[in-house]
Amino acid sequence: MENINKLTAVAQIKWICISRNTAIMIGPILTVAMVWICKILYGINSGGDLSPMLVSLLLNLGISLNLCLDGFIMVGTAIAEEKEKHTLRVLMTSSITGMQYFIGSIIFPFVLMNIINIVVLLISGVSMSQVSVAAFLLVSAAASLISCVMGMIVGLCAKNQMNANLISYPLMFVFMMIPMFGNLSEKLHHISGFLFTGVLTEMAGGFAEGIPYTFKALDITVLIAELVISILVFLMLYRRNGYEKD
Amino acid sequence: MEQNVLLDLSHISKRYKTELALKDINITLHKGEILGFLGPSGSGKTTTIKIITGQLRQTSGEAKILGTDTVNIDDSIYEKIGVVSDQSGIYEKMTVWQNLSMFAKIWRVPRIRVEEVLHQVELYGHRKKPAGKLSRGQTQRLVLARAVLHKPRILFLDEPTSGLDPSTAVSIHKMLLELKEEGMSIFLTTHNMEEATKLCDRVALLYQGKIAECGSPKELCLKYNQNKKYHLLLHNQEEVVLEQSPQNIAKISEWMQRDEIQCIHSCEPTLERVFLQVTGASLGLANI
Repeated sequence: MENINKLTAVAQIKWICISRNTAIMIGPILTVAMVWICKILYGINSGGDLSPMLVSLLLNLGISLNLCLDGFIMVGTAIAEEKEKHTLRVLMTSSITGMQYFIGSIIFPFVLMNIINIVVLLISGVSMSQVSVAAFLLVSAAASLISCVMGMIVGLCAKNQMNANLISYPLMFVFMMIPMFGNLSEKLHHISGFLFTGVLTEMAGGFAEGIPYTFKALDITVLIAELVISILVFLMLYRRNGYEKD
Repeated sequence: MEQNVLLDLSHISKRYKTELALKDINITLHKGEILGFLGPSGSGKTTTIKIITGQLRQTSGEAKILGTDTVNIDDSIYEKIGVVSDQSGIYEKMTVWQNLSMFAKIWRVPRIRVEEVLHQVELYGHRKKPAGKLSRGQTQRLVLARAVLHKPRILFLDEPTSGLDPSTAVSIHKMLLELKEEGMSIFLTTHNMEEATKLCDRVALLYQGKIAECGSPKELCLKYNQNKKYHLLLHNQEEVVLEQSPQNIAKISEWMQRDEIQCIHSCEPTLERVFLQVTGASLGLANI
């Protein structure tokens, strides 16, 4: 009960801080807006109905943007903001444990990311009869979790919000751009299959083209491996300096 | 450990690579006592607080807080102590009320206590205001309110009035004395000697990581009052400072008999002078 209280308090603090930070909240709004605007523009150009390839492109864009902007930036910047405003140490000297802070910090971004993934799926125009909802939710949850852990790594390394954005860019370049441009290059498409963002966009692209989804061993391995690696990197950095270097 | 000794530092040293930040620190804090740790910037005050509160590990020596070795304490210790540093931040986007209620949830403190503390720091009227809109003095009062919300047994204050205007500093002093009356022990670091004299039951003068002198402010001032002097204002508006000597005693006695003295004060040294005398160093007097 005591742990739940503390966890709820951290999650509530994060919810208030993130939802009132315009620079952070622009991410999910931008994701939905981009997909919606692109859908209208693609529709105009293709005379109304979107081809499965265009729907796949929309899904690819929305999901990649969501996982990277909302994961790396939202989680990382929120921690960096706490360091900048000197509230992180206050929280850590109020009996909150490192684990409680970790979980409390990712609850809101994790839920939001999954909601945005569903919204992107709904507004993309994909036929829901072709979507394996359970599989999508499961892979979306796994990818969102990896993204949140990577965001925690960004937050751990960043000194301030500006610094968090700078650290996020190389990660975004790899995890957002490669799946996004996977449709344009065979090589990029191949690499994309080894990224957690690529696993989800590939799955969503399959829904758009009416290909029934079956779990592949490679997809599961990629998701588990990247989750484990990101957690290990986080723990290694956390053990060195905690959340904030003295 | 004696029952009313809440904090016991024994031979504490701290080395940062090549620099020795703390050297053989020995001190205790008793229940209901305000202990001042005085010294210039860089003398090791904050390092001491960080060691005691488990944020930093000492190189050698033993530190016990509430009977537990600081090496063995975990996050639950923060349910029994309060920490305020000059860099303690607030959640600017939250209201004053939310800033306290979130921590009340962490410490399982009832809502009534939040109201009580807000009244105590005179911020109840501002409870719906975003904390980012508070003045510097109000912000510091909010930080203090948060630190005492769970009625800690020991309150650590690192330069609590640094950079505040005199009236806000006075209101914070008043609050600290009230907390002491309630039985709270306070570990205060400051380089403001006037503040220390006013608030502290005992002070430790810290210089280059070492305690140069320790005792009550009065004791220390009297101990270093070696050249006794008296400051007199005579009725003819003449001001004189006389050293203690048989001739001067006779002179003062004569003036007294003739009722020529308007006022007379003994000139024992201030804590600031004691510090200068003990360490031969300046405290950054611009801040005093």
